[in-house]
Amino acid sequence: MKALFITLLFALSLPLGLYSAEDLHVVSLDAAVAGHAEDGGVISELAGNFGITWPTLIAQMVNFCIVAIVLYKFAVKPIVATLDERQQKIADGLQYAEEMKAQLAAAERERAEKIKEAAVDAQRILNESREQSKEMIEQKTQEAAAQAEAIIRKASEATEQERKKMLTEVRQEVARLVVATSSKVLSRDLSDTEKSTFSESAAKELASAGN
Amino acid sequence: MKRDKKITQLAKKLVELSKDDNGAVTEAKVSEVLAGLKQVKHRHHLTVLKSYLGYLRREVALQTAVVATPSALSDAALKEIEANYTKLYGRPISAVTNQDTSLIAGVRVRVGDDVYDASVSGRLQRLAENVH
Repeated sequence: MKALFITLLFALSLPLGLYSAEDLHVVSLDAAVAGHAEDGGVISELAGNFGITWPTLIAQMVNFCIVAIVLYKFAVKPIVATLDERQQKIADGLQYAEEMKAQLAAAERERAEKIKEAAVDAQRILNESREQSKEMIEQKTQEAAAQAEAIIRKASEATEQERKKMLTEVRQEVARLVVATSSKVLSRDLSDTEKSTFSESAAKELASAGN
Repeated sequence: MKRDKKITQLAKKLVELSKDDNGAVTEAKVSEVLAGLKQVKHRHHLTVLKSYLGYLRREVALQTAVVATPSALSDAALKEIEANYTKLYGRPISAVTNQDTSLIAGVRVRVGDDVYDASVSGRLQRLAENVH
């Protein structure tokens, strides 16, 4: 970067030098014509043809050096520093962007892994839930069947007990009616003689029971 | 408590004294016992008499066969019953008749707390119970 600016400064200063040299050339052309006629040297002739005079050239060179130094000191150097700083910042930014990009990719991968793990976990939980619900449904079904069976059994038992109770009541009632009817019939139809005979027989039966 | 026990023992002894040689409670023996009690004049005379009466009734009931029948029984049958239960219980038992038409026919004998039923109504009742 620094070399680029120095080259640029030289390139910019060249037209200025040429412009100064052209002014000098107009001035020195007349003098050169006069000098050529006087000295007749090759170098002098060339210098005269190009309008170069040594004091002017030296002064231009000194001037140029001063300008170059000043420019380098107060313009190029801060600009270069600024450019370096900006370049550093850009590099840092790019590096940061690369890091961020890598982190983003890593985060993206991590997110994808997490999503994948979450999906696997969700699938596992879903399967477990399905298994549990299936087992629970089977268990509840069995319990319901057992309860229904118990209810039916109890109902059957209750019905059977009720039937037995009714049968017992009917038997008791029938027996009571039979006894009552028999008693009435026997009381009415048995004669006193028959009753006495039966009583005597029963007394003998009781008398012989203990023997 | 102790007094009641002594009175009970006395009443039981009086009941034993009221029996004749055969072990049967007779009116004559009871009269003798009562006469003796009048002479002794026990301090708890009334209580002793009540207790004596209770045990005497129980003893009489144990020695009596109440024969319930709808019609009169012959003396021979009663004698047979007396002989049978005297032999069965090992103590003299006399039979008394009690007319009960609800029996229809047959007899029912009660000795103390024991009941021997050979009546028609009793048989019908047992038949009804067996039908259940």
